[in-house]
Amino acid sequence: MKKKILAIVMSVVLVFGIVCAFTACGDDKQDDGQKIVSDMEYIKEKGTMVIGITEYAPMNFKAEDGSWTGFDTEFAEAVCEKLGVKAEFFVLSDWDQKVNELNSKAIDVVWNGMTITDELKQSMSITDPYVVNAQVIVCKAENAEKYNSLDAIKDAKIAVETGSAGEDCVEGFANVTAVAAQSDALLEVESGAADVCVIDITMANAMTGKGTSYADLTKTASLNEEQYGIGCRKDSDTCDEINKVIDELMADGTLDKLADKYELTLVK
Amino acid sequence: MVVVSEVFKSLFEGFGVSLEIFALTLLFAIPLGLVISFGSMSKFKPLKYFVKFIVWIIRGTPLMLQLIIIFYGPGLLATWAANSGSANPAILWMSSWQVMDRFLAVIVSFVINYACYFSEIFRGGIEGIPKGQYEAGQVLGMTKTQTFFKVVLMQVVKRIIPPMSNEIITLVKDTSLARVISVYELIWAGQTFIKSSGILWPLLATGIFYLAFNGILTIVFGKIEKKLDYYKN
Amino acid sequence: MSILEVKDLKKSFGKTEVLKGVSFELNEGEVLSIIGSSGSGKTTILRCINQLETADSGYISVDGVVFFDGNQHKENAAEKRKRQLLVGLVFQEFHLFPQYNVLDNVTLAAKLLAKERADYKENKKEIFADIESKAKEILAKVGLSEKLGNYPCELSGGQKQRVSIARALMLEPKILFFDEPTSALDPELTGEILKVIKSLAEDKVTMVIVTHEMSFAKAVSSKVIFMDNGVIEEAGTPEEVFDNPKSERTKAFISKFDD
Repeated sequence: MKKKILAIVMSVVLVFGIVCAFTACGDDKQDDGQKIVSDMEYIKEKGTMVIGITEYAPMNFKAEDGSWTGFDTEFAEAVCEKLGVKAEFFVLSDWDQKVNELNSKAIDVVWNGMTITDELKQSMSITDPYVVNAQVIVCKAENAEKYNSLDAIKDAKIAVETGSAGEDCVEGFANVTAVAAQSDALLEVESGAADVCVIDITMANAMTGKGTSYADLTKTASLNEEQYGIGCRKDSDTCDEINKVIDELMADGTLDKLADKYELTLVK
Repeated sequence: MVVVSEVFKSLFEGFGVSLEIFALTLLFAIPLGLVISFGSMSKFKPLKYFVKFIVWIIRGTPLMLQLIIIFYGPGLLATWAANSGSANPAILWMSSWQVMDRFLAVIVSFVINYACYFSEIFRGGIEGIPKGQYEAGQVLGMTKTQTFFKVVLMQVVKRIIPPMSNEIITLVKDTSLARVISVYELIWAGQTFIKSSGILWPLLATGIFYLAFNGILTIVFGKIEKKLDYYKN
Repeated sequence: MSILEVKDLKKSFGKTEVLKGVSFELNEGEVLSIIGSSGSGKTTILRCINQLETADSGYISVDGVVFFDGNQHKENAAEKRKRQLLVGLVFQEFHLFPQYNVLDNVTLAAKLLAKERADYKENKKEIFADIESKAKEILAKVGLSEKLGNYPCELSGGQKQRVSIARALMLEPKILFFDEPTSALDPELTGEILKVIKSLAEDKVTMVIVTHEMSFAKAVSSKVIFMDNGVIEEAGTPEEVFDNPKSERTKAFISKFDD
């Protein structure tokens, strides 16, 4: 009998919990009474800004001593210093989860050479563009003549990073494989699994050609111009705050120095 | 160039995390699985069907999805609740939810998932014991607890060792799913070198770790089976 | 006073009425055989008395202790267990514990029971030694002294059934019940079991035996009941039931075993 009562109580508690969780939505909006903390205040209260990155030269990569470096790394550190918070870099395993990572507050910004697209603008607030980028075709050097335009790769086996701007360029093509990262797309070409890949020009510059890990790969045509921005939670004030700091860093020449160091082109 | 010792240092680091996930999952999923199996055999129908429903959901959806929901879910609901501007106390409370630690989310998901699988193995093992064993215990004046622990349990253990060893070996390999919510484990440790240096062999080398560990487990389970071989059910 | 009293016992499984009002009594030291075709309700009587089934109505008492009273029946695990120790049951399929050897099968219940004694902690060693020597004595009686360390899977059917009898005897029940103790055995092995039961009868152990062994029932019993279709068709001494059956049904049943 005792067991039965326990079982009933357990069931009631569980059902009650579920009902509480799912009902009671849709009450009228009522703003007063509750203190609203803005996103920037939330980050400042914590004292650290968690910055979602992937390992991606020349934006974020590891130096000889194992510490993070790169254009975005130094840029983010400069911005955080002005905002008075600590920069904490967190490596995402899956670029596709970036919106979930932001919205669940697991990270605070996505700052990793992120190409601004209309699609992304719908799910996050993106700062003013800071670096110009292009999507380029990368293939083995001996095939450079063959794959020199968007038309030329229509029937080729193409590797792209899932959810990337490169993927948008080749939308609708027959043989497109989406892989987890841009570096994986390079590996696809290197291993012969794909004929070409479409990746960021910054990445292609850093990782292909003589003296790199992919010496026999080369970039051919640029497919479209695009710009990098920093992703913040949708409608958050963090985006405006970062924009103000970017203007300051543009004005005092900090960004110019960084762009020279990493061979990038700033948006002016 | 990447030094071999450096690669293995990273791989061992990743393997350590994989082992932690493995050990903590076993530690909590086995007792929880036993509790769930009792629930699914309960004579109280609502509890029985509720437990069976939960087990169906967990076994019927990919562990990868469960990881994503358990880690991102609370934070996403909090954002939604905060944006809804509702004054309902339940929603206000929900808006204070936060994502938990990534590693904790992995353990929670793995424990729930594996406890459900284990519970079905336990249920099969317990229900497979002939009714006569319980009746023999009863007519010899043993309490139900004594009958379970002194008579039935050992026979259940013998029955469930083969399916459990299967499931546990799968668990070793499933630890690689932790990567989905960016928990650094063995496979990721191997993949890092593809991204940073364009070399593939560290990823392939992770296979050695899985094989070696599962080899040890196979031997251990073989030993246990042999030890219980002195009698037949 | 009779040691076993069963009055108007009724039991149905779903819509099937298995016992339609069964009454009988048994005195201390007597041996009762219950015969009848399968499905006649013999085994159900045993299971009701041994508390493996709960009857629908009627009355059961053993040694003056009320086991079941349809009018005021209440379930209490502790009392039920106390009553359980007054009776012992030997199953058709033995139901030995496969993971224990012969000696442990016989001593397990007694050792668990000993834990409830007030002096258990101080005298554990002596108590266990007593239990083991008693178990060895009983096992010697059923002819299994050589098999103490063997596991059930290493024994023949007849040996298994003898262990199961020893296991039941160990707790010194007031009445020992046998549910078709030879039915699961090869014909050439039944003899050794019947011999053991016979020697128990000579020791004046009160027994109730459900059996298909007619000549054995006739030889060992002081009372015989013929069950048919949930009722007692005929009851009496072995001579009355086997040699001069009054009922036509009894006659028909017994004649089947005459060859």
